[in-house]
Amino acid sequence: MKTVAVIFGGRSTEHDISIMTAISSVIKPLELSKDYIVHAVYINKAGEWFSDAKLKDIKFFQSGNINDWMNKTKSVRVLFKDGLTLIKPTKFGESKISVDIVFPAMHGTHGEDGELMGLLEMSGVAFVGCDMTSSAIAMDKVLAKQVTQSDGIISTPWVTINYSSVAKSSDLALQKIDSLKYPMFVKPAHLGSSIGISRVKDQEQLINAIEVAGHYDEKIIVEQEVSNLIEVTLPIIGNDELTLALLERPILKDENFFGFETKYMQGGKKGKNSDSKGSQGYSELPANIPKDIYRNAEEVGVAVYRSLGCSGIARIDMLIDSKTKKVYFNEVNPLPGGLYAHNWRMKGISPVELVTKLVDLAIDKKNKDDKYQTSFNTSYLKQF
Amino acid sequence: MIKKWISAYRMSFIRTIVYMLQASEYNLKDYFSWLIRVKSFKSVMYRKSLVLTTKTKLLLLILWLMIALGILAATVVGLSVQFPVIYKMFILAALFILMPVLISFGITIPLWLGNIFIQKPREKIIISKARSRLNDNKAIKIAIAGSFGKTTMREILLSVLGAGKSVVAPPGSYNTPMGVSKFINTLSGSEDIIIFELGEYYPGDVKFLAEIVKPDIGVITGVNEAHLSKFKNIENTQATIFELADYLNGSKLYVNGENELAKQKSKFYDSVLYSSKGCGQWIVNSSSTSLSGIDFVVSNKVKSLNLHSNLLGSHLLGSLLCAIEIAHQLGLKDDEIIKGVANTDSFEHRMQPKNIGGAIVIDDTYNGNFDGVIAGLNLLKSLKAKRKIYVTPGLVEQGSKSHEVHNKIGQKIGEVNPDIVVLMKNSVTGYIVEGLKKAQYEGSLRIEDDPKNFYENINMFVSKDDVVLMQNDWPDSYN
Repeated sequence: MKTVAVIFGGRSTEHDISIMTAISSVIKPLELSKDYIVHAVYINKAGEWFSDAKLKDIKFFQSGNINDWMNKTKSVRVLFKDGLTLIKPTKFGESKISVDIVFPAMHGTHGEDGELMGLLEMSGVAFVGCDMTSSAIAMDKVLAKQVTQSDGIISTPWVTINYSSVAKSSDLALQKIDSLKYPMFVKPAHLGSSIGISRVKDQEQLINAIEVAGHYDEKIIVEQEVSNLIEVTLPIIGNDELTLALLERPILKDENFFGFETKYMQGGKKGKNSDSKGSQGYSELPANIPKDIYRNAEEVGVAVYRSLGCSGIARIDMLIDSKTKKVYFNEVNPLPGGLYAHNWRMKGISPVELVTKLVDLAIDKKNKDDKYQTSFNTSYLKQF
Repeated sequence: MIKKWISAYRMSFIRTIVYMLQASEYNLKDYFSWLIRVKSFKSVMYRKSLVLTTKTKLLLLILWLMIALGILAATVVGLSVQFPVIYKMFILAALFILMPVLISFGITIPLWLGNIFIQKPREKIIISKARSRLNDNKAIKIAIAGSFGKTTMREILLSVLGAGKSVVAPPGSYNTPMGVSKFINTLSGSEDIIIFELGEYYPGDVKFLAEIVKPDIGVITGVNEAHLSKFKNIENTQATIFELADYLNGSKLYVNGENELAKQKSKFYDSVLYSSKGCGQWIVNSSSTSLSGIDFVVSNKVKSLNLHSNLLGSHLLGSLLCAIEIAHQLGLKDDEIIKGVANTDSFEHRMQPKNIGGAIVIDDTYNGNFDGVIAGLNLLKSLKAKRKIYVTPGLVEQGSKSHEVHNKIGQKIGEVNPDIVVLMKNSVTGYIVEGLKKAQYEGSLRIEDDPKNFYENINMFVSKDDVVLMQNDWPDSYN
């Protein structure tokens, strides 16, 4: 059986979400498949790495004992030899665990943004999901729009603001957004889970929103709202051959956007007639929109996936103007935000099948990448 | 053996012993056979745990007192100057080694005494009170006996007859003398019809219950190998169930004509057979089944009725026909019968469909008999699905017929040919696998070591348009 290390947590504002995602959406189905030996690797908020079977149980994190445990427990070490090896402390010393595949389950900064993927690529271990480059681009809302724009994919009008340059004077900010119309969305460029995002209708709200976003990120994106809005999201899996899930439409509340509270805290449709939590219980699946717009959205989703060089899995968010039928690229969510097991289940792929497919895709990608020559012998040094 | 002995030296051992008594329903024979059969006390409370009642709290107290006495005895021996050291060590070692045995068997003494001097007299009073209360009750009493399908028949009768009459029945699985009597003592006297299930565990059980309940109408749902480990042979089972027919002695008796053993025995009695073809004056003209239920048309010499039931599976048509015939005999009008049938719906854990992320999971885990298994598999065969998944631990209490019964189940599963078969690992798994091999089953077979984990996470294995049929249950006491 192959050994899979699921890495989660990290120095991120989405740390707790990562714990939930890793345990319920990755570790549990991997173990239920009985095809893998699964190791949980947790990175705490200080950036320390731990690995233990206890970390597979959400109750351990909820118990309040985790900090005490971490204070008494040695960190796990990582060895970059023959791929990736975990050196786990045991009662009597250490044990070395050779990892065949890594399943990243870190949301946000210092993980989802490509930093972890870079480490994994360097080690030569197979890992699930997008590589370092596409993860880094996906995580930067501005960069993602710039790259996709070069491939002819449209986004709603937007501008970039550097917080430090506008912090002293709001006039600079107002000048920059002059080309945009209200209402607008102000977002930290690198965060997910709708943290720090504000919808603004006037200058005063705009200035406040920039202040809020500036707490999280230096780089801020301001986007013009799409009229007659239909918001959709499309999970996609695959490397060369792609499989599309169902186009999903979040059902919007009064806040008019799918905020953090709605996504994660409200248990979907207030728990009524729904056994799903968070966003999973709060959407139209598949999106009930005209067939031509549906197909167009699928095409845009695929185009974005390819443009950013995604692999494994990613979820593409799009905004549709229902009157003009234009489909605008909004943002992309690689692992683990891209998982959306509830959607895949409706498509016909169970959560267990989803994770096992992703592991297979990771192995395929590594096998393909291994064929590329990355080093060779030269006599360069001899000339010195 | 050593592992079992060591596993007794845990703080939870006392609770485990009381749990085993409770789960055996304080039947000492069942408790002793479980005690002998168990391999480790560490994993006994797996599916369920001890429910604290007055009785269990008393038993826990007695057990702790026994331990305290044991420690006191050890202390006395240890401090005694009369015995040489070697004798003292021997006595103390013997006490220590034998403590689990002394506790687990010793607790049955106060239980037995309590049963004779407290429980039985109490039961006698309750049952006597129930008898006289029921004597004064003018309601029509319907009694149901059978190896299987009793609760389903009860629920069908409740729904159908309830559309035109005031009908009551004991809740849950209250089919023992005490359960039935406690229920009777709650009756108001204003009921039109009372429905009783007569549970059969040992010969004489049905007769005893029939004498309490004094039914006007009887229904025998079938005879098979359920509880065979208690009855020893099928003839005993048959005779016990037909104690109801003996009691009725010519009063209205309906018998499941699709069960061979019941049909054979019914020839000795004045009875009306029911089946998916009809019952009494009613014949079935047409029927169709799907995941939304059963649609059927019945007619007699005078009229025909278009009916829909939300129940799943054509095997339930016979029971519905029986209920329709009884309803007609008791004076319900046609529209009441139609409404009553439309009210029939799946019951908890009995062919109960649940939608999980677009997959239909049919929970039939309270089904504990061979005929039910076959009926479920036939239903699975008839349904359209992206993937068909069949889940079972097998059947308990099949006695000497276990190998044969499970072989047949395996073969039937193979014939139905689901995409995935999941077997919960236990003592009969091998027999089912044998049957699958005989049927040359080529689908995916998964043997699950941790059934609880599987059932709790079924949503992880399924996706839209899958149909999963989960049948049967394997309580802790059979491990």
